[in-house]
Amino acid sequence: MENLIEIKNLHANINGREILKGIDLVVKPGEVHAIMGPNGSGKSTLSAVLAGKEHYEVTEGTVTFMGQNLLEMSPEERSWAGLFLGFQYPIEIPGVTNVNFMKTAVNEHRRQKGLAPLTAAEYLKLMREKLAIVEMDPAFSSRGVNVGFSGGEKKRNEIFQMAMLDPKLAILDETDSGLDVDALRIVATGVNKLKKADNATIVITHYQRLLDYIVPDIVHVLYKGRIIKTAGKELALEVETRGYDWLIKGE
Amino acid sequence: MENNYIYIPDKSQEEFRCRVPLKDTDQVFVVDGQGEKMGLSLGRGEILPRMLQVIQVRSSRAAEDLSYSSDYVLGEGAQAKVLLCSHTLSMEDFVTHENVNVKLAQGAVLDMVVMQNEHNKSRHSTSFKVEMEAGAVLNLNVITLHGGEISNDIDVALNGKGGECNVNGLYLADGKQRVSTRVNIWHNVPECHSSQLFKGILDGESVTRFSGRIYVAKDAQKTEAYQANNNLLASRTAKAYTQPHLEIYADDVKCSHGATVGSLNEDELFYMRSRGIEKSEAKLLQQQAFAYAVLEKVANESLRERLHSLMESRLRGEFSECSNCSKHCC
Repeated sequence: MENLIEIKNLHANINGREILKGIDLVVKPGEVHAIMGPNGSGKSTLSAVLAGKEHYEVTEGTVTFMGQNLLEMSPEERSWAGLFLGFQYPIEIPGVTNVNFMKTAVNEHRRQKGLAPLTAAEYLKLMREKLAIVEMDPAFSSRGVNVGFSGGEKKRNEIFQMAMLDPKLAILDETDSGLDVDALRIVATGVNKLKKADNATIVITHYQRLLDYIVPDIVHVLYKGRIIKTAGKELALEVETRGYDWLIKGE
Repeated sequence: MENNYIYIPDKSQEEFRCRVPLKDTDQVFVVDGQGEKMGLSLGRGEILPRMLQVIQVRSSRAAEDLSYSSDYVLGEGAQAKVLLCSHTLSMEDFVTHENVNVKLAQGAVLDMVVMQNEHNKSRHSTSFKVEMEAGAVLNLNVITLHGGEISNDIDVALNGKGGECNVNGLYLADGKQRVSTRVNIWHNVPECHSSQLFKGILDGESVTRFSGRIYVAKDAQKTEAYQANNNLLASRTAKAYTQPHLEIYADDVKCSHGATVGSLNEDELFYMRSRGIEKSEAKLLQQQAFAYAVLEKVANESLRERLHSLMESRLRGEFSECSNCSKHCC
């Protein structure tokens, strides 16, 4: 089976400080990976670097995404190629409605594939279908992007966008932070519904809690910019009961 | 109703076609400032049933500097909606001075939208002088889409209790364009309400100036007056100057002002790009969002939609490449 993404010896800096110190990670289609780790271990930096956020400098290593050199691509090119980042803190964009935002994004994806833009009716149909996955009210669509949304609504909006764009690889950065139990269930159920044989998900999280709903195939522990332990889903449970200390010792 | 404009649809439409007229609108043309006594006067209680669109064009037949005036006089309780468009049909270095005089008697209501769309070498200065009696309402929206040097001087005198004026503007400038706006709101009597919202989007090496004054006379108690000027710089070389003034001699008033100059929001841009929206398109969405609040002040829905689409093509740079704007205008 071909690798969806292959990260080799990835080093990255921000403001001259090295945060990622040699990450190796391979994700294959159909897999769910979880990346856990204490605060400041580099989890969010990894997702930002993969999505192409400016101000992060890759100093060493390679990232191959579906056969292409990911690090040479712009953020929009990464999206077109099938990468999706679910933001830990989704951005509010006053004045741009959800419908305008997503319609522009979906049609841009279609244009890249040589497809005609969706008509208003076609878009509406698709939108309603995908909103249902995260139990969102269609009234959301006429509001500004994330403006006045609660924490839970913002995260549901992220999964809605993921559903609309149908990515090959979704990286969900702390999607569980700020969620109550109901919202967590809705978000996790949404992610599970979107799981297919040819796509994959990387779930970045602090807690085992989310992994009760989104069951990972492989769990990694990130510490000080490196993956120090990789195992099956039982690793998440072990981290939950024993913390990170036993892993960190000797590092 | 007395309308002093000259209807010359056949002649002007040869050179200046209006392919998509707005609905429920009467059009009049002012070519090269011709027309002796331009304007509109409505008697007591008269209500203009349709919007009056005054299309002012400058053509190569009169390249000299021009100045002209128009008067809008509304009697007690009269109501009118007016759209003033100004365009240039050829590339001469036109210089135009214009006076727009408005007199609103007690309880009169005037909705005026000004749409300025001229070429890069055109210089057009307009002086709006408004006098309002008790309970009169003025909604003035000045939309500057394009022009070499555009200046708008707006003076509104609130001379009767309970008057309300809402003066808003949007200016788009790029290249070496200059746009200056000066607003004076004179609260001469008590219990009047005024608001100003002016926004600018600047690109290239454009320079804009905004100077807004709220004057509240000694006896003008219970005045409410607000002013905001926000500028978005889309390039590092554009410059926006903004100067708010509050001059308040009364002691029981609510007044505020705010002025900002900012650039595009990097986090919003990255968020949009991460969803596959190209950088240029993401910038456009952000600029449209910025201007949205001003265009939403335009009450007429079909005009508002027209302005949104004109703004979009302008921000896409489609306007500035044209030597003749007649293809795009209202």
